[in-house]
Amino acid sequence: MKVDLTQPARKYKLYATWKRDMETLNLPFPREWSHTQFNLPPDWREIALKKMNEVVNKFRSVKLFLDICVKCGACTDKCPFFLGTLDPNNMPVARQDLFRSVYKRYFTLTGKIFRGLVGAEELTEETVELWYTYFYQCSQCRRCSVFCPYGIDTAEIMIAAREVLTAIGLSPRSLTEAIAKCETVGNHMGIPPAALLSAIQFAEEEIKEETGIDVKVPINKKGAEILYVPPSADFFGGPHWGTLKGAIKMFHQIGLDYTISTYASEGGNFGTWLGYEHMKKINKKLVEEAKRLGVKWILGGECGHMWRVIHAFMDTMNGPLDFLEEPISPVTGTKFEHAASTKMVHICEFTADLIKHGKLKLNPDANNQYIVTYHDSCNPARVLGLIEEPRYILRNVCRNYVELDPNVNREKTICCCAGGGLLADETIELRLKAVKPKIEAIKRTGANFLACICAIDKAAFTEYFDHYKMPITVGGVHELVGNALVFD
Amino acid sequence: MDPLIFIIGYITPYIAFFTLIIGLIYRVLRWLSVPVPFRLPVAPAPITYSGVLKRMSLDLLTFRSLLKGNKKLWLGGYVFHVALAITLISHIINVYFHDLWSVIGYGWYEAVLYSGIFFLATLAFLLVRRLVLPNVSYISKTSDYVILILLITIVFLGVYMRSFGLVDVASVGSYMYSLLTFNPIPPPENIWFITHYVLAQILFIYIPFSKVSHLIGWILSTTRNMRNITRWRRHVNPWNYPVEVITWEEYYKKFKEELETIGPGGERR
Repeated sequence: MKVDLTQPARKYKLYATWKRDMETLNLPFPREWSHTQFNLPPDWREIALKKMNEVVNKFRSVKLFLDICVKCGACTDKCPFFLGTLDPNNMPVARQDLFRSVYKRYFTLTGKIFRGLVGAEELTEETVELWYTYFYQCSQCRRCSVFCPYGIDTAEIMIAAREVLTAIGLSPRSLTEAIAKCETVGNHMGIPPAALLSAIQFAEEEIKEETGIDVKVPINKKGAEILYVPPSADFFGGPHWGTLKGAIKMFHQIGLDYTISTYASEGGNFGTWLGYEHMKKINKKLVEEAKRLGVKWILGGECGHMWRVIHAFMDTMNGPLDFLEEPISPVTGTKFEHAASTKMVHICEFTADLIKHGKLKLNPDANNQYIVTYHDSCNPARVLGLIEEPRYILRNVCRNYVELDPNVNREKTICCCAGGGLLADETIELRLKAVKPKIEAIKRTGANFLACICAIDKAAFTEYFDHYKMPITVGGVHELVGNALVFD
Repeated sequence: MDPLIFIIGYITPYIAFFTLIIGLIYRVLRWLSVPVPFRLPVAPAPITYSGVLKRMSLDLLTFRSLLKGNKKLWLGGYVFHVALAITLISHIINVYFHDLWSVIGYGWYEAVLYSGIFFLATLAFLLVRRLVLPNVSYISKTSDYVILILLITIVFLGVYMRSFGLVDVASVGSYMYSLLTFNPIPPPENIWFITHYVLAQILFIYIPFSKVSHLIGWILSTTRNMRNITRWRRHVNPWNYPVEVITWEEYYKKFKEELETIGPGGERR
């Protein structure tokens, strides 16, 4: 595999966090800075090394992964950002090496003695520039880990590495702006309560026009059985809109006692990509709201990284969630045993169970205008293993369903390349290059509808299809469910 | 006795052996001393212990992650590790259970030599690809070449001295056995053997400090050895700490007017 030693991707850098957002979020060293002019604090090296020492002693995975990589190269051609740019630093192992080399130099015996011979490098301002560039060119999709003989997960190293960057005052605006809005207004989009109500009312009116039925979405309703938390993008419109309407229609048909919340109107969690602290804060609001409303359990909407947090972190960080009950579908009586502790069920798990029990009135012909293919989002596929449920739903709500090329499908999926904080205008050129193999695979299927269960997928693929002038509609699995629902 | 031979024959073997064992134990204990704060297996992952055992065994026995993504590397890497295992086992038999050959047949004793040739061939393949492939060469450090060259030299000497009968395997076996009983007899003063032996000692010492520690580290890989049951059973983080967030009351105060348009107390039923 060729590499381009001119490092063509080095020019793609996320823009710097605003000083005011650094202050809102209590991030270290609030100051004016830019992606080309870091204005690092004077003792940045000591701070970075101290933080690095902290992370390698807090996460066994990180320490182990830094120690045991044998540089076999199996991951080198698996990262979409490398395939798209041929920039050597985007090979997963090389990306890790930017961090590993400094770890070796300061924290291992061989590195201290043999230095460059074992790949140990000094921590310089140039290193920091490379860190900020390439650690934010990883969407933390875990594809490399699938092919690594030891399962070394670049995403885990990147989360730790970004903690180090944050500690010396470097974090991108694409994350911090949304996190600040989420922690103060309630969601990443910064949709205040009144605007959220308008969006809901608008959806209700549209549903009335389309189907003739009257639906009313409960908001902040105390004592509801289920709290429904979608990503806030669903309230915003665009390719997400159909998913919100589909879910509302489905809840109406089965007579679900649920509520949405304005305080916790964000399922997504951009904190995930900045560091554990803000991941935990954003997630905690969800827990607090479930407690305040007195719901029995929580149903989560179509969102990728949101589910990484719920599946892998929520219970550990903000549990035990004893005030909730083990989720039981009020319609089918199915016990969601797999969520017995976190008490949070994915809407695809919920819907697949409804369909399995014949509780939805569906007419798959309603989606006959579409040839549907399904894009596995990185987090549902490689963090949850949620691979069959969406497919089961799709086969039941549409007649023309096609699979993607197995090399970029299921657990081998190439992600939308916009996760990890990369969904920003300044990275569009990079993302278009990285996502190319996936776009080609989608093109080959002849599909005209790309179904996915992640808000970032929906936003990103809409952008990509516009760019490539491909007449493909992007939407959620529950948009298609909504289309197929029959109301007598 | 030559003082150098004395050191190489009586002293450094023990240093090398105990550095390897204690070094690896230290390495494992060091990894174990770092907590696993979160349960993060790479899905699709098993939900039972027996499932994990199956996943890990298949990883070990078939190198299937490599097989998924890189067939050539899989073939080279797999044959290399099998040849390595055969070589190690036959060394152990030669030293401690040399009577075993008569049981399993001397044909196998001869066959080991051929595995040595595969061993050399795959090592050469790994070295050449490291030098030639631009992506692999980019990620290679001096130490990555050194370990391969060290192994190639050791294996070459081993195969060479055995092929041409330059060493008496039985006397080497007796000497090695005497080391184990802490009652060492003089080592065979054979330049081929001594060189092979010294390099092997260097390798033993090097292992715990290097990437070769993957031989034991892979077992601890949290993305592979954990069950995908995070929502079913709570995983506890030993360093979990509380965080503060905006409360409903603060939020209500901030957005009171807007919330009241939704309904009394912000509630819409």
